[in-house]
Amino acid sequence: MEDYPEEMRSPPVSLVAVAGCPELHQAISAHLHSLQPPINTLALPDLSKISLLIAPNPKDDQSSNPDPVASSGSAGILKRDWLLKHRTKIPAVVAAFFSSDCVSGDPAQWLQLCSDLDNLKAVIRARNIILVLVVVHSHSKDDITEDRMLALRKRAEIDSKLGSIFAELANTYYRDEGRRIKTRIEKKSFSSIELHVRYCFKVAVYAEFRRDWVEAIRFYEDAYHTVREMIGTSTRLPAIQRLVEIKTVAEQVHFKISTLLLHGGKIVEAITWFRQHNASYRKLTGAPEAIFLHWEWMSRQFLVFAELLETSSAAIQSISSLIAGTTERSLTEWEFRPANYYQLAAHYLKEKRSSLEITVSISETLNESDSSADSVVPSVYVGQFARLIEQGDAFLMHPLTDDEYIHYAIAEGKRFQDSFEIIALLKRSYESFSNLEVQRMGALCGFQMAREYYVVGDFTNAKQLFDGVANLYRQEGWVTLLWEVLGYLRECSRKQDQMKNFIEYSLELAALPVLSDIGVQCSRIECGPAGPASIEQKELIHREVFGFIGGELGLTSVTTSTDLKVTGDNQLYLEIDLVSPLRVVLLASVAFHEQIIKPGSSTSITLSLLSHLPLTFEVDQLEVQFNQSACNFIVVNSQRALLDTANDDQWSHRVETAPSLSLSNRWLRLTYDIKPDQSGKLECISVIAKMGPHFTICCRAESPASMGDLPLWKFEDRVDAYPTKDPALAFTGQKATQVEEPDPQVDLNLGASGPAFVGESFVIPVTVASRGHAVHFGELKINLVDVRGDGLFSPRETEPISLDSHHVQLLGMSGPEGEDESNQGVDKIKKIQDSFGLVSVPFLNCGESWSCKLEIKWHRPKPVMLYVSLGYSPDSHDSTAQKVNIHKSLQIEGKTAILISHHFMLPFRQDPLLPSIIKPVPDSDQVATLPLNETSILIVSAKNCSDVPLHLISISVEAEDDNIRKSCSVQNSGDHLDPALLVPGEEFKRVFSVVPKTNVSRLNLGNACIRWRRDSGTEEQSGLAASLVLTKERIPHVNLELSPVVVSLECPPYAILGDPFTYYIKFHNQTQLLQELKLSLADAQSFVMSGSHDDTIYVLPKSEQILGYKLVPLASGMQQLPRFTVTSVRYSAAFQPSSGESTLFVFPSKPHFNTVDVEGKRIESLAAE
Amino acid sequence: MIVCVAVVGHQNNPLYIESFTDADDALKLHHIVHCSLDVVDEQVNNPKKSGPTLNETFLGLLYPTENYKVYGYFTNTKVKFILVTTDLDVRDTDVRNFFRRFHAAYVDAVSNPFHVPGKKITSKTFEKG
Repeated sequence: MEDYPEEMRSPPVSLVAVAGCPELHQAISAHLHSLQPPINTLALPDLSKISLLIAPNPKDDQSSNPDPVASSGSAGILKRDWLLKHRTKIPAVVAAFFSSDCVSGDPAQWLQLCSDLDNLKAVIRARNIILVLVVVHSHSKDDITEDRMLALRKRAEIDSKLGSIFAELANTYYRDEGRRIKTRIEKKSFSSIELHVRYCFKVAVYAEFRRDWVEAIRFYEDAYHTVREMIGTSTRLPAIQRLVEIKTVAEQVHFKISTLLLHGGKIVEAITWFRQHNASYRKLTGAPEAIFLHWEWMSRQFLVFAELLETSSAAIQSISSLIAGTTERSLTEWEFRPANYYQLAAHYLKEKRSSLEITVSISETLNESDSSADSVVPSVYVGQFARLIEQGDAFLMHPLTDDEYIHYAIAEGKRFQDSFEIIALLKRSYESFSNLEVQRMGALCGFQMAREYYVVGDFTNAKQLFDGVANLYRQEGWVTLLWEVLGYLRECSRKQDQMKNFIEYSLELAALPVLSDIGVQCSRIECGPAGPASIEQKELIHREVFGFIGGELGLTSVTTSTDLKVTGDNQLYLEIDLVSPLRVVLLASVAFHEQIIKPGSSTSITLSLLSHLPLTFEVDQLEVQFNQSACNFIVVNSQRALLDTANDDQWSHRVETAPSLSLSNRWLRLTYDIKPDQSGKLECISVIAKMGPHFTICCRAESPASMGDLPLWKFEDRVDAYPTKDPALAFTGQKATQVEEPDPQVDLNLGASGPAFVGESFVIPVTVASRGHAVHFGELKINLVDVRGDGLFSPRETEPISLDSHHVQLLGMSGPEGEDESNQGVDKIKKIQDSFGLVSVPFLNCGESWSCKLEIKWHRPKPVMLYVSLGYSPDSHDSTAQKVNIHKSLQIEGKTAILISHHFMLPFRQDPLLPSIIKPVPDSDQVATLPLNETSILIVSAKNCSDVPLHLISISVEAEDDNIRKSCSVQNSGDHLDPALLVPGEEFKRVFSVVPKTNVSRLNLGNACIRWRRDSGTEEQSGLAASLVLTKERIPHVNLELSPVVVSLECPPYAILGDPFTYYIKFHNQTQLLQELKLSLADAQSFVMSGSHDDTIYVLPKSEQILGYKLVPLASGMQQLPRFTVTSVRYSAAFQPSSGESTLFVFPSKPHFNTVDVEGKRIESLAAE
Repeated sequence: MIVCVAVVGHQNNPLYIESFTDADDALKLHHIVHCSLDVVDEQVNNPKKSGPTLNETFLGLLYPTENYKVYGYFTNTKVKFILVTTDLDVRDTDVRNFFRRFHAAYVDAVSNPFHVPGKKITSKTFEKG
């Protein structure tokens, strides 16, 4: 597009000329230029200068002269400089500025002015240019104010008015000119078809000046069609040049039309138009020797249109919406893409290059001298060339013959490097396609680009592009296309002396699935360097590459022109991994027959090799590599055994011999035994095939079970054989196997007896006994896991962080018996955490054993799983070697051993009145209430709820601090007892007397503490202090209350039949108030009673009232005393002693106690208390 | 004149491609068929809103090259049929008819119990039909 002159590319702008008053020109031209639409200005300082501008060609030009000489009229279609002339030289309006001084000045000036005007009119009349006279009043002496005003308004007024006047007048001029020529067209008053075209063109340009786009397009189209008609009819010029001229004119007109359409946003129309343009001219190749001119022209059409489309489609957002708008589907989306046109431009340029080459070669064989080519220049008319002949001072245009013209064109054509042009075009297309993510078209562009690079000799760029394209074709399985690309790649490598790449590409080429001879019949013009895709060609390549591999052939280097060979200095090593395209060349599948094997035992491994190369080939040796290098082995081809006798010393591995290692497109299956010693994963990594002395291929091993399909071959309609004979192995076989650990020959014992009890530190003896293995670097791991899975930790929110936040805690590990912990070396690992422990085990020889004890403490009854695992290595050399592991686990129940309970009692026959009991407050009924300053009895009982007998050491009540100890005395009722044996289910009770002393409403008595231990039978020494367990239970708070009245009964411990005794009832008033008490006594059957039955007594404050009743028992045995009821009036509480309290034993006669000593002792002990 | 027909599998791999020209442009036709898959992809991925029906298998004119017209057909199994013709004035109905017959032939060929779906078509009858 840049090749076109500026006046073609931009829309024309009206031109006016101003003459005179040069001081105003600047302002006027700037203003006119800023108008919408803008107007260009020609500024002439003087009126007389205008004739210089227009006068130089006062010739009777064709436009003013309707019937010129026929020859001059048909000399060409369009003049080259006509448009430029109208845009820059010939104004539509000439404005003559006169200052008012000149008009009203002296006659001399006036005369001068008149003559200037006459001259001007004479000049412009020929061109119908419109004249505007402007008289500038700048110095009016008459009226200063007006003058001022004028001076002020001058600029604005002149500018605005003049501007619009200029625009109008320019319009008028262009319209008139256009109309004038149009009438000529309509009247058909032109002598030749060339003039018709010219007139149409002119009308269109004038319309463009007026921005009448519709008319412009109409006349451009008219011109275009007329030009098209000329092809068959015109006979003016020699044939070739005639066509060139017509095409050039058509190109220009077409360019105008396309530009206008695209500027108008009519993309669809523009594309349709272009398609017609293309269709109507494509076939017009012209004379065979000038055919390259045609292709060049075609290419330019596409390039220019692509550029136009690109600039305009940037403004139009979505192409798809445009397409959706078109009702007919004649246009496809691709025609809206500039990339498409770039690609086609490149295509035609390529055509041009090839035809130019032919033409050049022909012309060179003719051996013409090219002396005449230099002086050829473009002639006056568009699309014509002429020879410039110097004749004295003047130059003369001399028309050319066709031969001369061709000569000139060839010389011109040779100057350009088409390949770079083609690459540039393709690159634009390629980038555009890539941006649109249209990968296949992009690939095609890339391929063509690479081919150009290849032609030019830029192999690096070519190779890079080819590689990208090859990847796509590989992926999609387009074998024929891939064949072509690989052929180029192979040649690129050859030219760049890249032996390895060359062999890789050759191998891939040879292994492509070309089965039928696709397109073999085609003559080899378009075929790439790979030759036709056929089986013969594959075999040819195969033989060639194996020639290289064997070192027989050499790659003839371009740079050094020596043969590159695969030799000892130039070893070649190819690697084929899972994604390599060379998998088709060599595929190695390795399957272990067993998935788990024991160490030291042997298993079978099947090695399957496949190659899709067209010819069978022999491998000299195969090396199979494992991750355990001790297992590596080599398979030697027995037919070529002599090869490796030379270097057998370097192999310390196993060497197997195979009768033949010939690879073809059928699986070569080899099965060998393998015997791993190390445990762990044994994986086959790669299979290395050695062919010839200096060539190796390393092929990654693949599992048959997870082997992917071969690229390209998977689309072929053929039956795939299994890599192994056993189809099941083909589906499940793996290239790796698991070698088990050696069986442990060490015993690990957890000896635990019975359940554990809460609170005790439970001891679990762990014994490690070696039976066959020495234990090196032994490590004992201990883990405590909750059986229920809810964790050993109590949730934080329910329980504050405390020492016993673990329900079950691993306390520690004590070493084996007799061994002090300090004896253990510093390097011995010993880590004990709450639920995890790591202990190192010392070295143990065969037959030795070692034991330790784990101490675990339960804080809550909970079953726990104890996992103990021992890891050791049977080998003393290496601590990192494979370890043998033994795992043991044991579930241990944690149980509560002792259940503590307690209750309070009052002393016998003494009852304090406690008002809160009488009138219970609803809340406080749970809490026991004790009378203040009175003795109460606390009974603590401990029950063995375990399955084993327990020794009870002591039961005590321990206050939590001294305050409580002072405020309340808790006394053991008995002395310290010997450790009592509690059999399961037995209960032991202890009695305490409690006397609260301080007047507090609430008393904390502290904890009931029970010390006990397991009854360990005879092994008394093992149950040391450590095994003494303290179980505590908190005694809940008690309320204290001062009782206002205490009622106590007093009577002898027993009575004798018929013997009278006194039964006292004591009322103790502890208040400062007088207490009125009502007493009623009921008769009893077995007693004769004296005294009042109903009475009201008054007890004075802080005093005691005693009532005495004389009773005579009438019957023996347990007898009910007369029951009484006391009612306190003040507290309205009634009291009746319980029946147990009011029972008395009556002896029939006076008893005789033999056991006086016992009684005495008892009395003694009571006295001591 | 039909110069090339192709069956392309759902991985965009050629299942069957046959050109009917004597000229040496078999490779060029392969390129054209391959490139036309871009258009098929585009059309299938962005169906036109104003498209006639959802289940339309006939894709119409894919793209016109200089000398050829390429038509496409997209089956429900994502197998594509591509037709390259040199006739510049082709009626859509003719192409439709051709594709219908072509589709039927394809179905016959792959109905062969020995045919593995996704592999190349090597049926002799298919070639004839």
